[in-house]
Amino acid sequence: MTKIKRRSAVLLILILLLAMGMGIFLVRYFRNGRQWAAFSANRTAYTDGVLKHAQITDRNGEVLLTMEDGAYRYSSDALTRISTLHATGDRYGNIGTGANVVFREYLTGYDVVNGLYRSDRSGSVALSIDAELNRRAWQALNGRKGTVAVCDCDTGEILCMVSAPSFDPESPPDSVDVPEYEGVYINRFLSSAYTPGSIFKLVTAAAALEQLPGAGDRTYPCDGSWEIGNDAVTCMGVHGELSLRQALAVSCNCYFAQLAVDLGGETMEKQAAAMGLTEPVFIDGIPSARGRYVASAETLDTAWSGVGQGQDSVCPASMLRLMTAIANGGRAVELTLLRGGSGAEGGRLLPEKTAEILAELMHNDVVASYGEDLFPGVTAYAKSGTAEVGGGVAPHAWFVGFGRKDGRTLAFAVLVENGGYGSSAAGSVASDVMKAAFGG
Amino acid sequence: MRATVSAHVHFMIDSVFLFFERLSGWCVSMLGQRAETVLFLLRYLIPAIGLAVLLRCLISLFREGSRPERWGRLVLSGDVTLPLTHWENTIGRGRSCDIRVDVPTVSRSHGALIRDSGGAWTVYDLSSRTGIEVDHRKVEGSMPVQPGQVITVGGLDMVFMPMSEDEERIQAESRRYRYQPVSQGFTLFLLTMLQFCFFLSFLLNPSEPADGRILFGFFGLTAVTWAAYLFTRAIRRRAFEAETLALLLTTAGFAVCATSAAYEMMRQILFLIAGVVLYFCVGAVLRSLRLVKKLRIPAAAAGLALLMVNVVFSEKVLGAKNWLSIGGFSFQPSEFVKIIFIFVGAATLDRLFTKKNLFLFVGFAAFCVLALVLISDFGTGLVFFVTYLIIAFLRSGSVGTVFLSVGGAVSAGLLAISVKPYIASRFAGWRHAWDFPYDSGYQQVRAMSAAAGGGLFGLGAGRGWLETVVAANTDLVFGVVCEEEGLVFGLTLILAVILFGVCAVAYAGRARSSFTVICSVSAAAMLIFQMTLNVLGSMDILPFTGVTFPFVSRGGSSLIACWGLLAFIKACDTRQNASFTVRLPKHRRNADADDDVRIYERGSETGND
Repeated sequence: MTKIKRRSAVLLILILLLAMGMGIFLVRYFRNGRQWAAFSANRTAYTDGVLKHAQITDRNGEVLLTMEDGAYRYSSDALTRISTLHATGDRYGNIGTGANVVFREYLTGYDVVNGLYRSDRSGSVALSIDAELNRRAWQALNGRKGTVAVCDCDTGEILCMVSAPSFDPESPPDSVDVPEYEGVYINRFLSSAYTPGSIFKLVTAAAALEQLPGAGDRTYPCDGSWEIGNDAVTCMGVHGELSLRQALAVSCNCYFAQLAVDLGGETMEKQAAAMGLTEPVFIDGIPSARGRYVASAETLDTAWSGVGQGQDSVCPASMLRLMTAIANGGRAVELTLLRGGSGAEGGRLLPEKTAEILAELMHNDVVASYGEDLFPGVTAYAKSGTAEVGGGVAPHAWFVGFGRKDGRTLAFAVLVENGGYGSSAAGSVASDVMKAAFGG
Repeated sequence: MRATVSAHVHFMIDSVFLFFERLSGWCVSMLGQRAETVLFLLRYLIPAIGLAVLLRCLISLFREGSRPERWGRLVLSGDVTLPLTHWENTIGRGRSCDIRVDVPTVSRSHGALIRDSGGAWTVYDLSSRTGIEVDHRKVEGSMPVQPGQVITVGGLDMVFMPMSEDEERIQAESRRYRYQPVSQGFTLFLLTMLQFCFFLSFLLNPSEPADGRILFGFFGLTAVTWAAYLFTRAIRRRAFEAETLALLLTTAGFAVCATSAAYEMMRQILFLIAGVVLYFCVGAVLRSLRLVKKLRIPAAAAGLALLMVNVVFSEKVLGAKNWLSIGGFSFQPSEFVKIIFIFVGAATLDRLFTKKNLFLFVGFAAFCVLALVLISDFGTGLVFFVTYLIIAFLRSGSVGTVFLSVGGAVSAGLLAISVKPYIASRFAGWRHAWDFPYDSGYQQVRAMSAAAGGGLFGLGAGRGWLETVVAANTDLVFGVVCEEEGLVFGLTLILAVILFGVCAVAYAGRARSSFTVICSVSAAAMLIFQMTLNVLGSMDILPFTGVTFPFVSRGGSSLIACWGLLAFIKACDTRQNASFTVRLPKHRRNADADDDVRIYERGSETGND
């Protein structure tokens, strides 16, 4: 009997296994319960897949979207509805990165003690965006496709995020299969990648600063084009012998093409990766599109890649993050669409020294090329890009950078599809939005 | 004539339902706005009372009860007395022997002294080196032994002094006097309060109009609860912990049935009554080891026959062919085979010495598992297999045997998976339920979502949505409970089942026979493992095999069989007058009970030395 009694302890093994399993369950329950409860089949939280009671506001409490018993109610102002559509999301979830999808765990009204009990107590999310900035940005785009984004370099809050084309969710178009609405469900800021054009010269410059001793004093000649075999990299002007500082200010193609060839495709690829341009940026857990840089054995390809043409592409979101890094001495901030932000570090993209030199060069661009009156009262840092897209259409216009005023540092990234010349097309949009953002 | 009677019955039942619905309407109008407050309080009351019931059962199980039973003693020269504390005692030099004789001439495991349920003792020689003698006659194999005879073990003489019937009665009186259980009636009163809370929850449910069948169902549940308790008291048994735990689980099961299948409430009551009756029947059989021995072969044959019929005739429901339909009444034979399985697997000590018995059981177990795999009831097959491992280990104590079995079973299992696409598909989505929320993870993700939605205290009985998912009230029952009554109550139910196991292990040391130990430990193992598969399967931590949560999942066969298994758990509880499955000494009118108690006290002191 004593033997059997001892053997009966085998039951404790089963109990132990159960306890371990329950331990795993409880850890998951408390860690993931919020996500579990937000599953769209949960009928306590949803009516026909629509949250029962939820509200999305902008950073100032302006209500952008209310969900009530299966119905969507947007802002009463059409301009607000259109310009914030990609931030709030649409009724049918076609915009996969809208706050109604991304933040639904916070919109269910879940809390760990009560679960979804009394889900009529509405879940509310305050976005980091400022509806007024979005309206201004939408107006500045003036019907052109593209994207405008502004963020705070200290907190990581995205203050403005517009993607065009957009539509009025209260009267959606009958068909989006027309050129006017091409890619209307895509948030161009987050989920697309474009040929960067000259803004990529920042990458080439950074690579040179890090890899080539005395890069700042290095000069290359420019006589309007640089011939490689039967082909040539052409330039917008005949700049003569240039330093890095001068070359970036006039955005000389010849200079950066020769610099890229001297650096080599491999080095360029590493630099693009180090600056976070070829991996997705995660914004509140949602990955952005990833950019691309492919090192080529062909000298011509490498030459063009150095000026951001050819195979290169970048996502506006990763470009914006790069701007925060340059502004913050090399450390990017973690971007967020939630009010408050964390200010958490989003990773070091550049050594401090390189970031400082790049910032100085970009400031020089503004002073020497774009004109400081673009950002009145703001210490501005910028780089334009004019990305040739072929097919006989106007190039994409880019304008990226950041500005400092009254202790605030705001970064921006503007892209106007087929907008034409970067500094004029995108630059004016950036100018409008930054004026508003800095309290215009 | 019959038609009119049935019409009358129907009319009466309908009137009762109507009465409860009127009552509900009246209560709701009386309470008005306050109904919401009552419901709010009920959310906290239900888990609180559940925990209180659990805690009282736990305390009651562990309160220092009566001392171990004595069945006699062996008197050595020089006034040394060795007490016999079980019906089955091993004699030897080994440390795990019940009667330890640390003399070099005695083998490690020398012999055994065994009492049957009729009071007759037999001595067994376990192929010892120096043999055993009774009154100096050598024991070949085994020999009956009478009071006063001298048993010689390794040259050591011991006078065999079993307790007389009178002494047994005195002992019973004394132990009864010493063992004062925690008030079982009060625990049951708390459980009744819990049932009343559920009753109120459904009565005031704002999302659905009150349903007379549900309200009457809880009324019936309370009636059965107290009937079972009063019957237990009537047959002079005082411990009701295991039954209370089972009733706690059954109450949760009623709440699940009410929310998911109100039309089944009447049947659920009938199933519960059948279960309680089966519980007392199995318990009655276990009272006599002689009867058990006689019934074992017929039981095994019946089990085999049930499974054979199952394999040949059963219907396919949701992939598994485990339903048998007879005259409009469908049941799962495999649930009842569980009882037989343990009954066949357990054995008294004398049968543990012979390998032949073990092999017979191995064959029986293999057949059962194979039959279940054939009908694609993989989950139940696994439950049987794990129970088999536990029984095999309890019987042989050999880890080697167990490992061999596991190896064999794993290869057989892999074969089963490769042959049955239905089983393979269940494994494919395992641990990736959230990647397949619309196919292989469909049920699990909904169970998890609902469970999280309930939070710690639930949405309120009858106010969840998970019940609409396929098999919610059986396979996903943990999700339903967590959603409606909250995580705290869900965990309370799990602890209740674990307590069955704790009961079994705690009392194993004081059991009379190894038969009862194997019964109770393996029955507890079966319930615990089945619950593990159910809960962790629905929460995507183990493969989703679709077994039931003991007592809670809806389904007649499962509920009835679980009550049957409960009798096994009670089998080794030897606290005085605690368990119906443990026989009391023959009753005798004794005016001088107090004197007898004192005599016993003195006797035990000398015995304690």
